[in-house]
Amino acid sequence: MKEFCASEIVPKTEKLEDTRKMPKDIIKTLANFELLGMVIDPEYGGLGTDVVTAGIAVEELARADPSCSIPVLFLVGTSWGHVLNKYGTEEAKKEILPKAIKGEQIIGIATTESDIGSDLGSMKTKISKKGDKYVVNGEKMYISGVAEAVEYGGGHVTLAKMTPEKGTRGMSLFYLPLKDTPGITPTYVEDIGREAISCGGFDIKNVEIPKHYLIGEENKGFYIVHEGYELARGLISLVCAGAAAKALENGIAYIKERKAFGRPIGKYEGIQFKLAEHHVRIQALRDLGYKALWTYDQEIQGNASRFDVSMAIAMAKSVAPIWAFDAINDVMQWQGAFGYTKECEDQKAWRAVRSFTLAEGSSEIMKLIIARELLGKEFLAYR
Amino acid sequence: MKIIACIKQVPDTTEVKVDPRTHTLIRDGVPSILNPYDHYAVEECVRIKGEIGEGSVTVITMGPPQARSALMRCLALGADDAVLISDKAFAGSDTWATAYTLSLAIRKLGSFDMVFCGQQAIDGDTAQVGPELAQQLGIPQATYVEKIEIDNKHKLTIHKQTEDGYHILEAKAPVMLALLPPTSFQPEHPPMSSILKAKKKPFKVWDAKTLGGDESKFGLEGSFTQVIKTYTPPPRGECEIIEEDAKEAAKKLGEILLKHEALIKR
Repeated sequence: MKEFCASEIVPKTEKLEDTRKMPKDIIKTLANFELLGMVIDPEYGGLGTDVVTAGIAVEELARADPSCSIPVLFLVGTSWGHVLNKYGTEEAKKEILPKAIKGEQIIGIATTESDIGSDLGSMKTKISKKGDKYVVNGEKMYISGVAEAVEYGGGHVTLAKMTPEKGTRGMSLFYLPLKDTPGITPTYVEDIGREAISCGGFDIKNVEIPKHYLIGEENKGFYIVHEGYELARGLISLVCAGAAAKALENGIAYIKERKAFGRPIGKYEGIQFKLAEHHVRIQALRDLGYKALWTYDQEIQGNASRFDVSMAIAMAKSVAPIWAFDAINDVMQWQGAFGYTKECEDQKAWRAVRSFTLAEGSSEIMKLIIARELLGKEFLAYR
Repeated sequence: MKIIACIKQVPDTTEVKVDPRTHTLIRDGVPSILNPYDHYAVEECVRIKGEIGEGSVTVITMGPPQARSALMRCLALGADDAVLISDKAFAGSDTWATAYTLSLAIRKLGSFDMVFCGQQAIDGDTAQVGPELAQQLGIPQATYVEKIEIDNKHKLTIHKQTEDGYHILEAKAPVMLALLPPTSFQPEHPPMSSILKAKKKPFKVWDAKTLGGDESKFGLEGSFTQVIKTYTPPPRGECEIIEEDAKEAAKKLGEILLKHEALIKR
């Protein structure tokens, strides 16, 4: 991964954020190295690896691309590709997965709406049966990879209410193609970080999808979607570790060279104490992240429970973006005025990891999950 | 057809910097890679095996335990099995001692048809191990080989690079070929599936005792040459490029040298 990233990814990242969406050649580069869909079963063109291997890949991608745009493309495709692989119909898997693995289409996730994020039970988008099809109405917002799906092809694993009176027990998960789909109107927003992957939303008006796009059973979507989110959260933890580790390396090189008051600033304890603290945190983060993904693999093999997975993933994701942000923030501080310029590579990572206190489950939600597992479900604040 | 490729793990010289005080190479933290010439040689082995449709490609290196990663890369490129020759007894080997050690390993593997080497390694640039290995194995050799064609009777047609073209040679196995890639060659990353498959391929580690042979010919003791110092000479003087054809250039060079008596004496 290190060699691949050094020769194939790093040279393409300098102006990457100017593109505002992932260039096709980068998606193809990832596909040619067989990174896309590495956790997918070989019968659909994947490699069938464990998710720890995907973690190794995404950590290196984050070290290579400080904007973390490529890691986001990878982790979203991996997590929701995994969900499709596990719960999708045979027809959908044969249709969608090989194209995603070859980089011809992308796979995203769409649960968030303008007014709801973590509170999925309050979403407005609805899906209903119509003959041998489903009809979807509503809207999704703050979704990664909309422009890529609309322009290159692909779609989003989407959650909607099927039986509204049942709340979260009445939600269904399905695949929603975006390119040339009648009734889909994309909109875009400008994120402040990870700008080389688009962010936006789409209005959904009477969009018909075939029955085989349903993922899992009807009304079970809320439960299935969390399996994807947990994988994505575990991978994000390692994106944070990779981005922070790279920034700290940059910081170490800088503080050895930069002099103030006649000596390298790395000689000052004020710098050294911070350096040591961040190093320990990043190593702890890697331990937490890989433990989380290892637990995820163990659950797939029947050696761990959902409890084990939720706890391990939430522990890693609850601190990953915060510790990473702090580390990168200090590296920028060490670099003085230069650290606050766009010339400074680390500001890209600083803007990027800030998103992960929100994306795929906020830091606060991660703490609620940890507390829920420690105290029991009867202590849930929203019950 | 049994093909053996001898490879070397080298520091990525594109990453090597020179210490401005000592003028020596700073190797700390420099990533190690498969020697690019060897990368090409292994790709050629795999291509030839594919064209013949039978046989095996075995990769060998002599080096420290971390040289395993270079062999793993070769397995990912399509080699069938690998042997790491590793022992403290081999430390300090010059090209002759290296060739001797490799020859023992190749003999231990049994019969073979072709031995491939990269023309040279990008760290030492000696280009000696391949020819010395052929000498120790007692087989013919060809160097600067860019391409090999093979017919159904296993007769080899060898395209050997020269300064102004190619020599076309014919040979029969067994033979040692030192490969020089065309200038257009770019080592490519094997895909992830090949990297994962490589982990399941046979991998042996042999030490000095396993190899047998004459211990006095191993390592520093068996080396005719020793590296006393490695450094980059500081730039000196001015540079003049003579662009005339060879005859005129030689004449002009002679004139320049005669003007600089001190240079000739030195």
